[in-house]
Amino acid sequence: MKAEQFQVVQEETTNQYILHVIGELDLSVVPQLRAALEPVMNRTEKALVLNLKQLKYIDSTGIGIIVSVLKLRDELKAPFFVSDIPPAIKRLFDLTGISRYLIEGTEAQA
Amino acid sequence: MNAIRLQIPAHADYIDLVRICLYGIASKMSYAYEDIEDMKVAVSEACNNAVIHGTPDPNEGVIDISFEPEDHALTIKVNNSGSEALATDVLDKAAPLPDADVSGLRVGGLGIYLMQALMDEVEVNALENGTEVVLKKYLNVASEH
Repeated sequence: MKAEQFQVVQEETTNQYILHVIGELDLSVVPQLRAALEPVMNRTEKALVLNLKQLKYIDSTGIGIIVSVLKLRDELKAPFFVSDIPPAIKRLFDLTGISRYLIEGTEAQA
Repeated sequence: MNAIRLQIPAHADYIDLVRICLYGIASKMSYAYEDIEDMKVAVSEACNNAVIHGTPDPNEGVIDISFEPEDHALTIKVNNSGSEALATDVLDKAAPLPDADVSGLRVGGLGIYLMQALMDEVEVNALENGTEVVLKKYLNVASEH
């Protein structure tokens, strides 16, 4: 098991802000993820996409942040997608019931 | 009883070490990859609670984790020395997200639910000055979920 440094890499396309969430998302990196979300989560002119392709670990703290983003984007009536969910992460999304609220988008869509 | 004990400062930065330790022990016991992943999340949730509800002074609090392998199960005990004990009825109240409008969703409270969903047995015991969470996962038993 190789510990991979948690990081969020932002990418901007003509109609999307894409945040690539990489590594282990646990309580210790909550401030880092919030800081990465801060500048883009209120922007309604583009869709917000969380790309989870390289996410290795998530627990209730990370899922809680996604719930808070869902609520905010819903309130703003602004599009929010989650893409490339790894199977192990998807299982936790299904267990907690967040799956039914998530719209899976590919980067070509929206 | 061959308990393996780990003590970490009650701070989020050390929870990954608990997962690494758990990984080593569970691998040696031949748990399946998916079961190890389940236990990693459950034990992290217990530590999250200990960090969030533990002692207000992060320089003083510690979390004691005890891994207790048996022939067909692994029991993990997570003790925090915090002043605020988790209510023992949290287990009964734990639930997944409701089928509601997005605006009605609550942000927290999934940790205990996940522990229950991922482990075979979960106990929360109030201690004199803290909380003990006991997690158990059976080895080589058909999964119930």
